[in-house]
Amino acid sequence: MDHLELLENTGTVNELLARYGVKFGIYKNNQFKEQLFPFDAIPRIIGNAEFTYLEKGLKQRVMALNLFLKDIYGEKKIIKDHIVPEDFIFASSGYMAECEGVRPPKNIYSHISGIDLVQGKDGHWYVLEDNLRVPSGASYPMIARELCRRSSPHTFENHHLCDNRNYATLLRQTMDHVNVGGHVVILTPGRYNAAYFEHSYLAEKTGAHLVIGSDLRVEDDRLYYVNYDSKLERVGAVYRRISDEYLDPMNFNPESLIGIPHIYDVFRKGNVALINAPGNGVADDKGIYYFVPKMIRYYLGEEPVLSNAPTYLPFYEQDMKYVLENFDKLVLKDVAEAGGYGVVFGNKMSAEQKGNFLNLLKKEPRRFIAQEVIDFLDIDVLIGGKPVPRKADLRAFVLMADEPLVWKSGLTRFSRNPDSFIVNSSQGGGFKDTWVLSQ
Amino acid sequence: MKKLYFDYHMHIAYTEEARECFFTIKCIPPHTKRQCPEAIDIEVCPDAHWAKGEDSFGNPQVYGRVGNSHQNFSFHVRGIVSTGLKAYEAEMPETGQAIYRYPYGLTKPGAGLTAYYKTIRPPDGMPAGDWAVSLMHRLHQDFSYEKGITTVATTAEEAWNGGRGVCQDYAHIMVALCRLAGIPARYVTGMLIGEGFSHAWVEICSGGKWYGLDPTNDMPVADSHIKLGNGRDASDCPINRGLIKGGGAQEQRICLKVEEAG
Repeated sequence: MDHLELLENTGTVNELLARYGVKFGIYKNNQFKEQLFPFDAIPRIIGNAEFTYLEKGLKQRVMALNLFLKDIYGEKKIIKDHIVPEDFIFASSGYMAECEGVRPPKNIYSHISGIDLVQGKDGHWYVLEDNLRVPSGASYPMIARELCRRSSPHTFENHHLCDNRNYATLLRQTMDHVNVGGHVVILTPGRYNAAYFEHSYLAEKTGAHLVIGSDLRVEDDRLYYVNYDSKLERVGAVYRRISDEYLDPMNFNPESLIGIPHIYDVFRKGNVALINAPGNGVADDKGIYYFVPKMIRYYLGEEPVLSNAPTYLPFYEQDMKYVLENFDKLVLKDVAEAGGYGVVFGNKMSAEQKGNFLNLLKKEPRRFIAQEVIDFLDIDVLIGGKPVPRKADLRAFVLMADEPLVWKSGLTRFSRNPDSFIVNSSQGGGFKDTWVLSQ
Repeated sequence: MKKLYFDYHMHIAYTEEARECFFTIKCIPPHTKRQCPEAIDIEVCPDAHWAKGEDSFGNPQVYGRVGNSHQNFSFHVRGIVSTGLKAYEAEMPETGQAIYRYPYGLTKPGAGLTAYYKTIRPPDGMPAGDWAVSLMHRLHQDFSYEKGITTVATTAEEAWNGGRGVCQDYAHIMVALCRLAGIPARYVTGMLIGEGFSHAWVEICSGGKWYGLDPTNDMPVADSHIKLGNGRDASDCPINRGLIKGGGAQEQRICLKVEEAG
């Protein structure tokens, strides 16, 4: 069974996506440019048994990461027991001392986690990155599926796949689970944000209010929504699409115009849920990534189901030696960067670049990780009407309420450039729907 | 042991109407092993919605918002504090101390402080507390008190290289040097008997206990100091932090009195 109907309708779907404003904004040379996020109609298909395996591993990973965050901002047993060196916590830019001793409602830190995976040529899956701050992207496969079903109904009659349009319901349940009383809102920085389409789409689909900072106000230890009549209505949970730094000008960056003064003080008292909790950056740091399998063993007493990409920490002498000896076959990542920035391939550097980089590496070993380059399994992308192989990854979404739950879909991103391994949408890649077969 | 009466009054006048302002005041003496506040009275003017709480560094705070147009803002905190109840301020397990061992913000050392540290580093086996006291004596000599040279945004490194500054600079420099020696150290704001300005000093952690040392006056903190707050550097515990919409320029007046309660 092929998806001819679907492929023939690629143009229609892309036109509809453009009309619905499915765009991705990027800043280039200080100018905000909105561009379409190109959709490729060939779906990534994951079999039922394979997804069950991924699901098991993803749940386990997110459970451990949540326990890690609770531990780090509390007892710090994992440091006392010498599993994670304290340098990787306290010298990390993601660690926030302001979160010490603060307990989010129901002890959930990462309500929505975006875990990036890649599949090797041998079929083996690797986790490349955990995103526990404000991972974006679920709305793209959601709307793509909706539009594809509309334009190519027969394709969907003939395939047994899990419906992914339930994401809004799952998200709403996740938000309601931690709501301490009152409205649930989605806080956006506004329409010049790269993911504004997603904010508005998720608000529409979940029935949550879409708000900007000035719609919310703190009064007497509570958070309120200021309604059309200037009356205050209590807010119990905020799915905030604003980074920690800009969330509250009275507690964090005082220059922030998009935050809500004192919202963090209300959170600290347990009077509002923030989704995701502030301070999560300490757990999705590229340096901490190395320790996630150890966390799973430490907190859950289980062997990790999913593997990390083979990773070296130059912080450890033995790893530094390996990195220096095998430099040309490794990819090096700056732990403080995200979105595909700060990633360099050892074999693509000039002699001079390499010299400079090695000096930096020796001076600040804590700042970098090195990884083996994974031989990705290419997947087909339609270019000029013909399928051509390209690199792709998969962002799986794990929602945390009483139990972790994996959305039976995900965002598949691919690189348009045949030589590039970097698939981030901020670097101009495209996306696909991800089909999970139901049998 | 002393019983100290304090009266802190801050008044801000705006040149233009302010439409809205938010404030966080960390001017309330915490209850510690060394000091015990009683009968603390807080007033904020104009009438505002405010709430009491504690920040993540354990400092008492009052935060709120003035929602009406106003041209003046003031707060007034007064009360009585018993001081010198114990020699140390607080106890803390080792994991809690860690954030005070890492370089942070205004206390990050540069080449100047690092070079100085090499000349004074603690000899092997010297207890942290003893070295910190000797460092306090030394700083009192090697750094000069002078107003108007530094600002609230001056780093320890800049102040050290300039050689002169005020209590905030003494405290930042000492915190930076203690951390270079691996000793947990934190910045403290407070008040001193007989002084008309707020004050700053240092606490170092030794044997799981935090002790106050005042490098500006070269004295350990006993019963003449009232502590208000602590943090990794001054930015964690400002006495007043505000966010004002409108208001034009501001003029700030502070009236402070600390004396033995009669």
